Amino acid sequence: MENSTEYIIQLQGLTKQYGNKTVVNNINLNIKKGQFVTFLGPSGCGKTTTLRMIAGFEIPTQGKVLFDGEDIAKFPPHKRHVNTVFQKYALFPHLNVFNNIAFGLKLKKIEVSYKKKNGEPAKKQVKLKNFLIDPSTGKPDFSIANDDYYSYIEKGYVKLCKIKKSVNKMTKKGRVKKEVSGYKYYIDEKVRRALKIVGLSDYETRDVDSLSGGQQQRVAIARAIVNEPKVLLLDEPLGALDLKMRQEMQIELKEMHKKLGITFIYVTHDQEEALTMSDTVVVMKDGAILQEGTPIDIYNEPKTAYVADFIGESNILDGIMIDDYRVNIVGAEFKCVDAGFGQNTPVDIVIRPEDIEVKSKEKGIITGVIKSSMFRGVHYEMVCECNGYEFIIHSTVEAPIGKEVGLYVSPENIQIMNKEHVDNTAAVTFTSNTTFDLYGGEYEFDPTTLFENCSYDSEQDILTVNGVEMTLKGQEAQVRFAFTDIDMTDDEYAAPLAGNVDSMIYKGKNYIVDIKTDDNRHIYADTEYLWDKGDRVGIKIDRFRLVSIKEGE
Amino acid sequence: MFKKSLAIPYALFMAIFVLLPLVLVLVFAFIDASDGSFDMITNFKELAKEQALGKVIGNSLIAGLSTSALCLLIGYPIAYYLTKTEFNKKGVMIGLFLAPMWVNFLLRMMATKAVFNVIGFKMGMGAVIFGLTYEFLPYMIMPLYNTLLKIDKCYIEGASDLGATPIRAFWQITVPLSMPGIVSGLTMVMIPSITTFAVTEIMSNGKMMLLGDFIYSLKADSLNMAAAISFILLIFMCASMIISNKYSNDSGAKGGGLW
Repeated sequence: MENSTEYIIQLQGLTKQYGNKTVVNNINLNIKKGQFVTFLGPSGCGKTTTLRMIAGFEIPTQGKVLFDGEDIAKFPPHKRHVNTVFQKYALFPHLNVFNNIAFGLKLKKIEVSYKKKNGEPAKKQVKLKNFLIDPSTGKPDFSIANDDYYSYIEKGYVKLCKIKKSVNKMTKKGRVKKEVSGYKYYIDEKVRRALKIVGLSDYETRDVDSLSGGQQQRVAIARAIVNEPKVLLLDEPLGALDLKMRQEMQIELKEMHKKLGITFIYVTHDQEEALTMSDTVVVMKDGAILQEGTPIDIYNEPKTAYVADFIGESNILDGIMIDDYRVNIVGAEFKCVDAGFGQNTPVDIVIRPEDIEVKSKEKGIITGVIKSSMFRGVHYEMVCECNGYEFIIHSTVEAPIGKEVGLYVSPENIQIMNKEHVDNTAAVTFTSNTTFDLYGGEYEFDPTTLFENCSYDSEQDILTVNGVEMTLKGQEAQVRFAFTDIDMTDDEYAAPLAGNVDSMIYKGKNYIVDIKTDDNRHIYADTEYLWDKGDRVGIKIDRFRLVSIKEGE
Repeated sequence: MFKKSLAIPYALFMAIFVLLPLVLVLVFAFIDASDGSFDMITNFKELAKEQALGKVIGNSLIAGLSTSALCLLIGYPIAYYLTKTEFNKKGVMIGLFLAPMWVNFLLRMMATKAVFNVIGFKMGMGAVIFGLTYEFLPYMIMPLYNTLLKIDKCYIEGASDLGATPIRAFWQITVPLSMPGIVSGLTMVMIPSITTFAVTEIMSNGKMMLLGDFIYSLKADSLNMAAAISFILLIFMCASMIISNKYSNDSGAKGGGLW
């Protein structure tokens, strides 16, 4: 924290719980001044809750929100120097465009210093209309806020509301010249400038209900930026717009960000949006940050298979790191640029579809047959099957369906990641010699395969280890079961334990499914069938291996 | 064709129970009782001659306006807190506040009168306003509750995000957006409280009259005069309806009011 001024927002150990449910789990993040940061993740990943904690609509259960080094975690929203653009716009329906935008300005207060009668320095809040303007320029001089407020009045500075200015006020009949107070003039100027920035000049008197979705969104942005916040929070602001409008607004938002030079914190579930606009992308899942980095880093070097799958299209495959710079992917040996994984280590491989080159059979590293080809505008999307695994290829040159081809990937385009999970491990409590409780489900197991030297005695009903009778009931152990040991079933009651499909990743031939049990444990299964997110499934487990047992006999 | 014919019972209902009575009121108001001729002013002239009528209208306005104001003052905070789920779990509280409507109002007035007699509260205008407020409060709470419930929380969040304190957000956002509810609540309380009759009689020991009591007190043969008063009330009602419509539209909030 030595260099805390470099960061405008710092989240430290930020946690939010609703009852027993942890929505945001111990987030640590530093956001630099002037950056465009995007929280990206599927719905329910905690990104909006995080944003709302920065805005002040949610009070964190634990942790700090530092704003310019000061902890504002418990401040109400109106005391924070951030403004929000809401997903549903939240424009006040009873006010017109001008009054919507001016709402924040009229409430603005400026802290000024002054000297008490006894000469002691003090500070107080001054309403905008009582702020002082420099007689020479006719504009409010905010730099005087740190000097003695009253001495400036003696110097000839005048309160904003006391002077007269003429403006071209927008009315229903067009622009009319009008004499107004300096305060109103100032607000009018600001609102007009904000409207100009969002490209809605001359819309002041319009009813917000008469505007299109895109225009309402612009008003919402104008209403936020007119207050000159240090940080602008945007909660899926383009979610309700159609594709064309959305793309247009993406470019405009990016330009606005450059022009205003303030920090933008943007929340979206749209990975394309995140990649095009952000300086930094923060990928979130289950209330935690999976990866943060520049869009290029996130795209080219995803840290986990989940991130790779979420960001852009990719081929995610199982591989084995044979040795440094050598990796076996679906039975063929590829050269790569990674080292330090050890020998014969199972790894996850990500290859972007555009990085696969289709060559003649002899020139490729691996051969396969083109299964399908689809024209996608700029490129062809082809599926090539190699050793039973599918590769998605984006190429501007089409290869005919059924042709045997060779595939080549240059070493730097193979992204290698340590596997997050190689298999499942779980703590269990034995309920009998052949059953145990795993996350609340009672599973049967074969003790003779779980324990060494364990066998049934001659009468086939007493378990013995090295001839000594065994009673397991009440003991605890750690067991391991592989992804492939799990059978998923539609009928949740046909299995001891049930859960919901949380996410799945296609591995070219099979899917790795992340099943979330009711008490939020994750079990990973390997299946050839496609399940949908949220599907309720029963979890059957065929085989267990023992990791450790607490009170072994 | 078949679908259209389904509307016939409703059209008949409207004709017999809505349109016809209105037309009759209009016709009777402009018929001279003495010779049965059509006359624009006779009945109203007669009304003007009634000594008591001025006082009755005055009383009605005082009672109606104070009842509406009191109902709004008491009903708004109740409706506001009822929309917060922590005060109104599963809608039980709103049910409790509306429960007096289920008890016959005459019974309630008698009971109130008995209580007032015991504590020595003077029967008169004060007691009448109390009775009317007691009687009509649920009619104020209901439209207010509906409107407040429909105000999206995001408007309040938006206001506080822009620097408004909770109190300011209430006055600048919640109150204007609940205008349709306020207007329909006021209409629901004002008109009936002016035209009610039993409450005044009970609560003022028959010493005070509102327009309703006045119509009731007219003899059966002065149907034309009663119609004339009704006509005045009708105009009054139309006016308040127009005003309420204007406010409901201006506030721009969607729905919640009764009209």
